[in-house]
Amino acid sequence: MEQQIIHQYLNTLQSYLARLSPAEAKEVIREIESHIFDLIEQREAAGQPADAASILQGFGEPRQLAAQYVAHIADGAPPPLGFRAIQRVKYGVTASLYYGMAVFGFMISFCLLFLAGAKLITPDAVGVWAMSEGNSLTIGFMSEPFPPEQELLGIALVPVATVLGLLLMWLTRRILAVLKNHL
Amino acid sequence: MTTDDKTQEKWEVQLRKGSLELVILAALQHRTLYGLELLKVLQSFKSTAITEGTLYPLLDRLKREELLEAQWVQEGDIRPRKYYSLTATGLSKLGDLTGLWRQSVQDIEYLLAHPGPDPIKVTGV
Repeated sequence: MEQQIIHQYLNTLQSYLARLSPAEAKEVIREIESHIFDLIEQREAAGQPADAASILQGFGEPRQLAAQYVAHIADGAPPPLGFRAIQRVKYGVTASLYYGMAVFGFMISFCLLFLAGAKLITPDAVGVWAMSEGNSLTIGFMSEPFPPEQELLGIALVPVATVLGLLLMWLTRRILAVLKNHL
Repeated sequence: MTTDDKTQEKWEVQLRKGSLELVILAALQHRTLYGLELLKVLQSFKSTAITEGTLYPLLDRLKREELLEAQWVQEGDIRPRKYYSLTATGLSKLGDLTGLWRQSVQDIEYLLAHPGPDPIKVTGV
């Protein structure tokens, strides 16, 4: 009965060690098995109770024990010395991606908000104009504004630019959060 | 259990966890032990008592990091046992960790021995 509990424990442990090479897994099982039967013999020799459950308790759940043995595979073994440079390049790329994204996103969103504000203050000099039958689009300040009838949106530019600006700011923050957590 | 007890227990766990590598290297200094033997040594001290489930995976990691080497030995009729000892790297790592540990103890002892209201002597920056 006691033997059966122990064999069952070791079998379960072995099944969770599947990510190790067969030789490594065998070595782990062999060592733990040796420990358990050593301890049983020693306790019996000393006239102490040697029940399997109490001995196995020290090893914990087979799944958790196995997880510690395979953790290094999941984490990835550290790269050999010469490969450090790759890590540095990878880190450099992620850092420039992060800051590039931040500058790009916030700058455009700031411009849109600024455009909305400027439209409110000087409605005539700021706007979006379509020219040459739609072949050219002009957004911004004009010292000599185009005729008002050619202007798109008109005062509706204020809410449109504000909403777009805020949306872009929110989106940039979300993307930065994702980049920070996953890279 | 009060909050204080919990905080204290948490601190003990952290301390034990942090010093475990040093503890194992120290226990194996100029000595060869198998798992059960080492476990009994560690469990005989209040601050180093750990379980099988902590010891064996840690031994496996230290062996992978080449701080320890292991050898199966069979003496007579007894079942084979896996004996661990320090490698040259392990011994040198033990030296480094010992230095850090002693410095830490010395610094904390100094702070404990010099309570206020007298100002504490500040060196460095």
